[in-house]
Amino acid sequence: MTSDTSAIFDQISKILSAHAKTDTPITPETRIAADLAIDSVEMFDIVMEIEDAYDISFPIEEASDIDSVQSLVDTIGRLTDV
Amino acid sequence: MFDIDSKKNGIFAKFAPLAKRAEAVSTLGRQPFGMTFDAMLSPTRARVGNAEVVLAGTNNYLGLTYDPRCMSAAKDAIDRQGTATTGSRLANGTYSDHVDLESALRDFFGAASALVCTTGYQANLASISALAGRGDHLLIDADSHACIYDACRLSDAETIRFRHNSPEDLAKRLSRLPAEGARLVVIEGLYSMLGDVAPVAEFVDVAHAHDAMIFVDEAHSIGCYGTNGRGVADAQGVLDKVDFLSGTFSKSFASIGGFCVSRHAAFEYVRLVSRPYLFTASGSPANVAAAHAALSVMAEDTSRMESLWARAHQLHAGLVDAGFEPASPTGPIIAVPRPDELTAVREWNALLRAGIYVNIAVPPATPQARSLLRLSVSAAHSEAEIDQIIGAFRQLSALAA
Ligand SMILES: Cc1ncc(COP(=O)(O)O)c(C=O)c1O
Repeated sequence: MTSDTSAIFDQISKILSAHAKTDTPITPETRIAADLAIDSVEMFDIVMEIEDAYDISFPIEEASDIDSVQSLVDTIGRLTDV
Repeated sequence: MFDIDSKKNGIFAKFAPLAKRAEAVSTLGRQPFGMTFDAMLSPTRARVGNAEVVLAGTNNYLGLTYDPRCMSAAKDAIDRQGTATTGSRLANGTYSDHVDLESALRDFFGAASALVCTTGYQANLASISALAGRGDHLLIDADSHACIYDACRLSDAETIRFRHNSPEDLAKRLSRLPAEGARLVVIEGLYSMLGDVAPVAEFVDVAHAHDAMIFVDEAHSIGCYGTNGRGVADAQGVLDKVDFLSGTFSKSFASIGGFCVSRHAAFEYVRLVSRPYLFTASGSPANVAAAHAALSVMAEDTSRMESLWARAHQLHAGLVDAGFEPASPTGPIIAVPRPDELTAVREWNALLRAGIYVNIAVPPATPQARSLLRLSVSAAHSEAEIDQIIGAFRQLSALAA
């Protein structure tokens, strides 16, 4: 991880843990739906929080493909790198 | 309930958690999702088994399903045109009745273009998915109806959600968008689950200030708000500023079908490209005729809307007096939040045993994952029927115990 992505990971971990319905520790490999029991509706709310945290547009179509925490971090990295 | 093949990769395996949830619900009485009415008796009464129930969850806001004008228009259409059109609007499925209904909708809303679709669901799919294309942005209220979400999935545009009923939040998200591409803001006039009304006038200002167009789904509000039931945008004085307005014939219009009208004549081109408009058969003659008759009733006569509001005030006040806390101020939809799904199901069954049918709504169909007993008021309800509904709620804790 670069320092940028590790900062994103730290912030995302905080946001996700506030929504998680399990105590599974959050690592890059953690699967958001399967391990944290965050459903697709809640994921859409998390997307809004992320938009505000990073002042970006994060289309919900991008969220549909996200499965692991790492893929979420990568997507945010891409959306902030413009 | 139904056997699920537990084999790995079995196509039904994904339904296992749902089956468990349905099983838990079914131990509490009747299955509330998709229950059967054995006979319809009137807009507000039905028979379930041997028992007669008062219907308090029908979306039949004006109570026109048994109106003689709508019934005879539908029967006459069958006599003139048969039971079905057997074709798409683009091919053999456009009859003069479809065209006349579009013309009547343009007149009623003062619009330049009107598109009649086979259902309200398809009207939203047809218009939103065709209007917003690749490179465009759709901005939708977080509490949008499933058909708005599905319209976004069908569109090639990118979708951004904004916080429910918050024009400020919309403004923030609009200002983050790139300069390229068209922008379409989608809201509802009256939200179907919690019965709350959108600040449409403020949304119109925010949208137009950010170079966006605005689309208002008035599925539940037409017939209930505004001049002769023209909807919430009309009630807030901004009907002429709304770019696109959609509605359904399945509620106040006492039929089935849907439409979208626009003040932009170029909306007509949607007809030529929109898959949910093209690749399905058009509304049946009886349905189109009933909807047109209902529109004429609305345009001529406001007495049903007045009765609707009188009954809505009676029911809302009665429920508050009985100790319940409806999610929104008085309106045609009165949602009573319950602590959890199983409580809601238990109470739903108790109400049915007491002769009252209400809707039950549970996540993911509800905002904030709430479980609701959802009531809708009809102009056809008598004062005595509303009292009966309130009476059952008064005894609800005893009935559900
Ligand atoms: C907000 C909203 N839009 C559209 C629809 C779809 O209407 P229809 O029943 O005609 O498909 C509904 C109703 O279910 C609705 O609640």
